[in-house]
Amino acid sequence: MENVLNKEIKTIIDACPEVGRILDEYGIGCVPCSVGSCLLKDVVGIHNLDPQQEATLMYRIEKAIYPDRKVSEPVIDTTKKSAPKKITYSPSVRKLVDEHVLIKRLLALIPTIVDYIESSIKVDKDLVLKCVDFIRTYADKYHHMKEEDILFRYVDEKADIIQVMYKDHDTGRGYIRLVVEGAEKGDKALIKENMLAYRELLTQHIKKEDEILYPWIDRQLSTTQVGEMFRKCNEADASVGEELPKKYEKFICDLEEKFLQEVAK
Amino acid sequence: MSGCPGSRTIDFSEKTDLEGSETGKRPSQLRQWPIQMHLVSPQAPYFQGKDILLAADCTAFSLGDFHKDYLKGKSIGIACPKLDSDQEVYTEKIRALIDDAKINTLTVMIMQVPCCFGLAQIAKEGAEKASRKIPVKQVVVGLEGNILSEEWI
Ligand SMILES: [Fe+2]
Ligand SMILES: [Fe+2]
Repeated sequence: MENVLNKEIKTIIDACPEVGRILDEYGIGCVPCSVGSCLLKDVVGIHNLDPQQEATLMYRIEKAIYPDRKVSEPVIDTTKKSAPKKITYSPSVRKLVDEHVLIKRLLALIPTIVDYIESSIKVDKDLVLKCVDFIRTYADKYHHMKEEDILFRYVDEKADIIQVMYKDHDTGRGYIRLVVEGAEKGDKALIKENMLAYRELLTQHIKKEDEILYPWIDRQLSTTQVGEMFRKCNEADASVGEELPKKYEKFICDLEEKFLQEVAK
Repeated sequence: MSGCPGSRTIDFSEKTDLEGSETGKRPSQLRQWPIQMHLVSPQAPYFQGKDILLAADCTAFSLGDFHKDYLKGKSIGIACPKLDSDQEVYTEKIRALIDDAKINTLTVMIMQVPCCFGLAQIAKEGAEKASRKIPVKQVVVGLEGNILSEEWI
């Protein structure tokens, strides 16, 4: 079992898809991950299961990989206490979670926006570029930069889960470049394809952060670090001014109003 | 069962599930004097920029590892929200700690009895009056010295 623990999760699932299904039962969604280079031991550790669950999970995985091997019953390590299940974020992490809410409101509108673009005669370039501006300025500059420049610095940046987050941010930037290209060329298909891809990517990305990554980082922070991070995040917010988040919140409200009417028509 | 839960008599001297070790000497983590909220001054050097623990008097006697797990690395003020007088002074001192001493964080540690939540209230009011904002955490200790909850508020 020891050497399985140190294997990359994708290699394990490729060789034994049953492991993917078992992990899924425990709310550990590694199967659709684009990278899959996390080690099995880290995957399990990061999810902070209670000792009973963790032991049973490891037992089932070992059984699935080595059906012929006599696997001993799960041993429960009660010294490893897991944090209470209710997620309570530290204040700056809480704010990042709240920012996700505004980003998710845009993601929710994307299918309607894409339909609207597809059915209109000429591409509404202004609308596309305004959405791009929200994504680039609010989601990327305002939000992702705090993650990359402040939050991720408090943990091992080489950790696979952090690398996956960086990669997601980059992939997203790539999609948005193509959306802009589509808008310049009036290429509806290019806009549609990349806006939908961005929506799918960010939906999963935000879920991973809210449920797994942020709680994992919070568990490692000392009280002193929580205070320090709070100060740094506030400074970062102050550097862009308090008008910026207000402006983009209004943009989303207006967009919702426009497209909810569109749907009602 | 009647009367105030804060002063109701409970005897758990029969408690047997005593995990942990009694070996080794643990040093005190206290790095200041005084500690009582009426006696401390927010101008004291040991508060400047620090992480502060505002502890209800009873918590330190209830928690076995108070020094090691909670006091270590912090400066402290202690108070009893049930018995102390002139508690508006406490609120003002919390405000001054945040605005003037520019403390990094505030952790309020209280007992689970209802009257003890008054201390958390004092901390919240002090923090609201302050113009600086800092993270405030609430830790609730059970009567038998267990941690019931620990969260940023
Ligand atoms: Fe992110
Ligand atoms: Fe995020």
